[in-house]
Order: sequence, then structure tokens, then C-alpha cells
Amino acid sequence: MKILLAEDDFASRKFMDKQLSRYGECDVMVDGEEAVDAFMMALEDGEPYDLACLDVMMPVMDGYQVLKAIRDIEAQKGIPKSKRVKVIMTTALNDERNVKMAFELGCEAYAGKPIDVEKFEKVLNKLGLI
Amino acid sequence: MAEELEKNEETDELEGLEEEDSQKGKFMTFQIGKEFFGISISYVNEIIAMQPIAAIPEVDDYIKGLINLRGKIIPVIDVRVRFKMEPTEYTDRTCIIVIDVKSTMIGLIVEKIAEVDTIADESIMPPPSLGRKDHERNKYVYGLARTGDMVKLLIDPERLIRQEDVEAVMEDARKDEQS
Amino acid sequence: MAEEFNTESMLDMFLYESGQLLEKLEGIILEKQDADCFDDADINEIFRIMHTIKGSSGVLMYENITKVTHKLEDVFYYLRESHPDDVPHLELVEKVLAVSDFVTGELDKLKNGDTPDGDEKQLVEDLDEFLGRLKGEIKKQGIEMPQANRHVEPTQFYITPVAGDDSHFYRISIHYRSDTQMSNLRAYSATYALKEVAEDLLYTPDDILSNEASADVIVAEGFHMLLQTKSSKDEVIALIDSSEAEEINFDELTKEEYGAALSEFGREDAAPAPAPAAASKDEAQDKKQEAPKPGDYVVKTKEAGKGKTLAKHQPKQQTIISVNVEKMDALMDLIGELVIAEAVVLQNPDLKVPGLELSNFQKASGQLSKITTELQEVIMSMRMMPLTNVFQKMRRIVFDVSRKLGKDIELEVIGENTEVDKNIIEHITDPLMHLVRNSVDHGIEENAADRTAVGKPAKGKITLEAKNEGGKVYISVKDDGKGLNKEKLYQKALEKGVIENKPMSEFTEKEIFRFITLPGFSTKEEVTEYSGRGVGMDVVVKNIQSISGRLDITSVEFEGSEMTLVIPLTLAIINGIVVQVGDSPFVIETASIKEFVRVGEDSLIYEPSGEEYIVLRGECYPFIRLNERYGLPNSVDKVEEGIVVVLEHEGSQVCVLIDKLLQEQEIVVKPIPSYVKKIKGLSGCTQLGDGSIALILDIAGLLMQDGERR
Repeated sequence: MKILLAEDDFASRKFMDKQLSRYGECDVMVDGEEAVDAFMMALEDGEPYDLACLDVMMPVMDGYQVLKAIRDIEAQKGIPKSKRVKVIMTTALNDERNVKMAFELGCEAYAGKPIDVEKFEKVLNKLGLI
Repeated sequence: MAEELEKNEETDELEGLEEEDSQKGKFMTFQIGKEFFGISISYVNEIIAMQPIAAIPEVDDYIKGLINLRGKIIPVIDVRVRFKMEPTEYTDRTCIIVIDVKSTMIGLIVEKIAEVDTIADESIMPPPSLGRKDHERNKYVYGLARTGDMVKLLIDPERLIRQEDVEAVMEDARKDEQS
Repeated sequence: MAEEFNTESMLDMFLYESGQLLEKLEGIILEKQDADCFDDADINEIFRIMHTIKGSSGVLMYENITKVTHKLEDVFYYLRESHPDDVPHLELVEKVLAVSDFVTGELDKLKNGDTPDGDEKQLVEDLDEFLGRLKGEIKKQGIEMPQANRHVEPTQFYITPVAGDDSHFYRISIHYRSDTQMSNLRAYSATYALKEVAEDLLYTPDDILSNEASADVIVAEGFHMLLQTKSSKDEVIALIDSSEAEEINFDELTKEEYGAALSEFGREDAAPAPAPAAASKDEAQDKKQEAPKPGDYVVKTKEAGKGKTLAKHQPKQQTIISVNVEKMDALMDLIGELVIAEAVVLQNPDLKVPGLELSNFQKASGQLSKITTELQEVIMSMRMMPLTNVFQKMRRIVFDVSRKLGKDIELEVIGENTEVDKNIIEHITDPLMHLVRNSVDHGIEENAADRTAVGKPAKGKITLEAKNEGGKVYISVKDDGKGLNKEKLYQKALEKGVIENKPMSEFTEKEIFRFITLPGFSTKEEVTEYSGRGVGMDVVVKNIQSISGRLDITSVEFEGSEMTLVIPLTLAIINGIVVQVGDSPFVIETASIKEFVRVGEDSLIYEPSGEEYIVLRGECYPFIRLNERYGLPNSVDKVEEGIVVVLEHEGSQVCVLIDKLLQEQEIVVKPIPSYVKKIKGLSGCTQLGDGSIALILDIAGLLMQDGERR
């Protein structure tokens, strides 16, 4: 599968890249805007991402903005819900308000850091990605 | 003579006061001027010595002000003034009876505390309603009781409070009309 | 309730809510264990509880909890749909309790930071077997079998951060040989290596890459790191390149020591124990007051050397309990008493004996004062509630009213997490609602064309903002509508006869705007469903004044208006100055006092009507002698013997004459007993240090009364 990883922190990026690369080809972005650009590009090339892992705290655009942008773009292009990219937020912000907001914005999962790899895999499974 | 007849009517009216058995028929009696008054002990919270009173402006003359009862601020009224008698100086025998009427705490300033009397229902008679001049006193007195050779006037504190409200409302209404 | 605790972590919320539900469940069970069967209400309730826990545990992927609650939900589903007779009640009770115990046990594990690894298989089998019998019974009784209970799998998941309390905390200091070249790069490679295992890493100096001069500092003072990691000491040491190092100091710290050390390294919120996501909090702290929204977490620039922290999951203790409001109020009262008792002790006349050696007493009393002050702050914060719910209502109103009126309006909400005393929230909802309605109805133009004609976007905008500044809360309703027309307001006020017949030029802009708050004034020609009945703004102002607040109005025609409620953070304790008039003490809120002056007889102006005015620096103020106003005996009559206090409220001033100043202190406001009818100009009473009672002056009331007399 094709994975988009947006994470500005080097250590996390290294870790996530390693984890995600086991499941597929992983494109790594370092800020929110890049992530949206990459998403857009993949969409236009007809090779959309299957999974996007978005950090929340990032330069230029934060993860929530990216998530919203992605969902907006998909809505605008008329992509059906089942074909949408699966989004997992990865962040240390674990308070309920943030999680709820992310759910409302339309992410599939919200992973608190440090990430529980086992559960992460389980979610990928439930989302039908692996 | 008339006692026998009126007794039965009285008991009906008194029923509401008789809820607590242990306090039934017990009255805190106190002296104002020459007369003795009684108040059902079920209303009485405590009796405290006279203490500094903070005056409140613009209130009726019988509301003497506020006292601080262990952090609770409660209004006190001078029963003597309430009965339209001439006020007297407070002495070291002057006491405040703190009563609780339907969750309103109020202090009553009385000249002298007498004792707690047990007064049987049978010995309570209604006040004579005609021919009395001191109407003011009368509206709070629901019964007379004879103990020994003394007659005690029994006060209904609820009426005392209730009438306050009525008066206040009336006064507001009057003011509104004027303005 | 959930609104009040919404800054808690997702896991906390799950634990709290599930805990509450389980308590409820046990309550039902214990009440009904000896009954013959559960009634419909119980069955529904248990079904709902199981359904809720199943759902939330599903999102958090605690699968054993999900499975167990799922099964019990099924059981109650059939009970609910088919109402079979002869359900073995005792057995059912046992089953419910078994599930409740199982879930409680798993929740306890989570609270302790453990993995909820309970084996649910046996329990699920038991429940399955029970369900099988139940279904058989339903069939036997000839009741129609309901459709299978449909379970909706959660489509969104929350992956809880890895639990565990096995992190180590190290302080590592590397001293390089004095001839080491580019020690900053060596230090960097050490941090780089550690980043692989670090959960949290701080180092000083922190500008090792960007500042070459840091190399000298490192050589001179050493390079110090604080590390939080799961790796052992040996693993960490192996990662550090020690080739040029003269000495490496390696200390394992306790969590507490680590927390304390954080501040040395310049982390601001150095909590005693590193809070989860400490660094993220740094960045998010400014935003904490507001509800999160996309864009709140854009990282501006990453500070050199401050690596982002990974969240560290701490063992979870349940951190929320619900408390009866009455108990809170009782505690509040007691603390009020304590403050007074403290004053009684500290200002005790016995201490005024000359020649007493009080230095130890002073020290101890200083400590006492500090504690009582903190205690007050804590109880105050406990009573604080965010405005979220109130603002939520306003959203609804804007939505409803704007649709009804056919206006296209966008609402922006800022600072809805601003916290206000619970009592105050109750008082501001209605006034705020009115202001919002007014803005939608009167503020924003009828036609979008009117807006575009003056160069505004067709879509109207209303901004609802709350902020907390200097002990006051400001809540403003701002619209970009047509604004207030002074001329119209003035004409209208004249017509309605709510103002004196004075030329418009004699009124200030502020005064003209304030016309709309006068009783019987409404600028709208037609009454609409939502506003414009002319009862309202005056009620708004009255309500706000009753909690010692005020309403500020600013407006620019064609650009919009802004109505701001300024209210105190709390009603219960104010700073006041105690003054004496005659034999009676009075309290004046410090904030409303402009100045104290002594004046002579020559500053007074007498009107034939008996009114007095006072002239200060050429300005003329109304003058009230408190002793005359309240008929207080034994007070000074000559103005030069007393003190004149200049008071201000909402821009109007009044001078009152008092005898003398007593002291300034914190005043615990108490209501005047309701038995005593409301007295104009007095807002409450309080107990002073010596136990005596002082009345609190209500400046707004005084001014109003003064106005009425004229």
C-alpha cells in the first residue's frame, strides 16, 4: 500500500518510517503543507495514498488542518467515503477535546504517542489495510 | 365558663403546632413590660445574650439591625417596639431569642427570659377579640394561657413573619402608586 | 457533565465515564437482586450502559471489555425485545455482576498503568450459554424472536499511548578534553544517538549546532543532558561516543528529581513529575484556554535543541470526582469564615499592647495568611466553569434567528473556555442571549446589498469573545453590521421621553449609546419575534448590575457595534475599604473608588431644592452625605471634618461624605437576610475582623437613587 507520513520531529519520523515501511511504500513529509501537496499530487497522478499518518504539531499547517484539507479535497472531488484515504493522527495531545475534534474532522484513528505498535497494527487490520 | 366551649375550636387550629411530641406543650416564656408572653419551644433555636447590633438604614423601627451569630448574619427585631410599646434601654437582662420560622432565622429582643412552661392545650383559650384596644399586640397572639395566677400571651411567630411580608408588599405597592 | 472535564485525556474520560456507568449498574443490581425480575426501565438502562461501554472500549480497542459488554448487551437486547417470562433472575444477576467485576478489574489495571489483559473467554462462553438458553426459552414460550441485535463496529479508533512505568531518568554530563576540536559537534552526535531511544531529551547548552561558540562553553563547563528513556544505563552508555571525553557523569534520577531538574534546563512547566507530553504542553499552553481547532497546533519554529517530547504515559489514577454543590458552597462559606477568623486573630486588640515582642508571631501569621489566600484561590478555581455551554447556546440562537430572518451570518467564537464562577454563569446566560439576538436582528443589515454597497462582504459576521483580564471577565458580542446612528438614537429617546429635553450636543457619544439601555426604549420601528419589544436592554443591564457587572457599548456607524459585558470573576470575595459613618462601618469596593479628598465648605454648591454639589478641580459632582441619606447619628456634619470619597460606576461619578477610613481588607460578601427588604444603595453585608457587621455600599444603587431624586 501507499503511505503518507507527515511528521516534523526527526526521532518520531525515523521510528514511524521504520514501522510503516513494513506495510508499504512510505513517503515522508516534514510539514503540514508538504503533506497536503503530496496528497494532492498522488491524487492527480491517479495513485492516491491508502494511509496517511499525520502528526498534529507541525510547521506551516498542523495535522488537523491537513486532515481537514484532505477531507475537503476528497469531498470536492466527489470521492466516496469508502475510497477515502485512511487517516491516523499521531500525536502526544491526548486530551479528549483534541481526540473528539479529530474524529469530527474525519480521521479513522487517533494514536497517542508513544505509539503502541501492536495496537497500531490492529487498527490497520481493522481498517482493512493489511 | 366559656373556656369549655371554645376549647374544641382551638385544638383544631393548634394541630399544626404539635408535630414534635417532645416539645409539645412547652413554651419559652419571656417578659415584656409587665406582661408575660410565650412562644412554642419548637421554634426556638437558642437564646443568646444581647450583643452589638449593626443598624440597617431605611427599615421599620422595630427591625433593630443585624447580628453575627457565629458567622451567620441574622436580623433582629425588638418585640417591644413591634408591639408598639415605648422602647426601653437594653439591660444586662435583655436577651435575644433566636427563632427559626420556616427556615428564616430571626432574633427577637426581649426584656427578660422567664422560664420554659408546660401548658396543656386545655388551658389555652383564644384571646378576647372584641373590646381590646391594643390591636397591634393582639394580631400575633393566638391564645391566652393561665399558669398559676398569671396569664401568658402565646405568640404565633409565623404570623409575626407573615405579616411582615404582607406589610412590605403593601408598602411597595403604595410607593409604586405614588411614583 | 462531560463538558466540564473536557481537558482530561481520552483515557481519563473513558475511565471516568465507564466507572460512573458501572457504579450505576451496581446500584441497579443491588437494588433489584432480591426482586423477581428486572423491570423494563432497568433492562433498558443496563442495555444502554453495556452499549455505551462497548462502544467506547471499542474505540479505545480494549477488546476483552468490548467482547464481554457486547455479549451482555445481547442478553439484555433479547430481554428488552421479547420480554420472556421465567428468566432465572438470580443467575442473571450473577452474570451482570460477573461482567461488572470483570470490567471494573480491567479499568483498575488501566488506572494503574497496566495493560488490561484479563481473559474474557470463560465469561463470554458463560454468557453465550446463558443467551442460548434464553433464546430457547423465548422460542418455547412462543414469542417472536427479534431480529439479531445489530452491532455497529466502530469506524474510528483511538490508540492509547503505550502504558508502562518503566522509564529511566538520567542526568548525563560529558566533559570533553580541553583540546577537543568542535566539541559542539561531538555533543550533537551524542544527542543524535540518544534520540533513537529518548522519550524526552533536554540538553544544555542548547544551541550546539547553530552557535559555534557553544563549543567553548561545552569544553569549559561540560555538556549536560537530561534523558528519559526505557533503555538501561548500559545501553545508553553504549550509544554515547566517548572517544574525546575526559569524563562522563552518569546519574540515574528518580522521576521527582528529574522533574525538578527540568527547570534547570529551562523547561518552564517543570512539574514535579514530567507531565505527559510536557513539551507539547509548552507549545499548546497558550491555546489551552480555547477550544482546539485546526490550526491551533502549527509549530512556529522548532527551537534549537528542544527536541519534541514523546508522550509518556503515567499510571492513571482516577482524577475526577463529582461533588455535591452544597458541599462546595459549605466549604466556600467555611473558608470565608476562616478568612474572617484569621483577621480576628491578626488584628486582635490584645496585640496592640505597647512593647510586645511580636516578631515570631508576625512570621507565623504571614505563613497563615499565605495559606488562607491559597486556600481561597483553590476553592475559587473549583467553582470555576468554562463558558462553553453558554456559548454553545449562542451558536444555536445565531443559527435559528439568522435563518428565520433570512440573514446570512457567520459566528466566530473566541475564548469559550474562559472560566467564570458558577453563580455568575447562571446570571449572564439570559443577558448574553439578548445581546446576541439583538446583534442578529438589529445589528446585521436586512439586505446583503446594503452591506456590499458599503464595501463589506455579503455575509454578516458576529464575534462572540470571552477573555479574562485583571480579575474581570469580558464577554463581548461584536457585529459588523450597520452600527448605531447617534442622531436616530437621540431623536428616539426624545420621542419616548426617556431623556431630558437637552440638545444632542450635550450628550457624549457614550451617553447616547447608553440610551438603548433605558427602560422603554427601542430603536426598531417594528416589533419582531426576536427582539425589539423595548423590554430587554434595560433588563440586560439590570441583570448584569445585579452581579456587579456593567455593559459597555461601542459602535461605529456602518461598521458595526460591540456590546461588552464586564463582570467580576467571582462574587464571593471582593477587595474593599472599610469606612465609618457615625457608629456604623460601611464597605466600599476598592475598584469603584477613584480618590479620597478633603475639601472645605467652599467647594460645596447648594441648590435651592436642597441638593448639594461638590466642585473638584472645576468639575461638578453630585454629593451625598451618607449620614443624612441613612439617618445615622453621631457623625460629622461639617464637610471639612470628614472625608469625601469619589466613586465611579460606568462612567458616572458621585461623591459621598464619610467620617473616616478604617482599613482595607478582603471582604467576604454575604447577602442581607431576605427578611429585611431590599435597601437601595446597599448590596450586601460582611463580617469585619472584630466580628462586627458592615454594610456594603452598592455604587450603582446609590447613583440610581441619586438620579431618581433629581
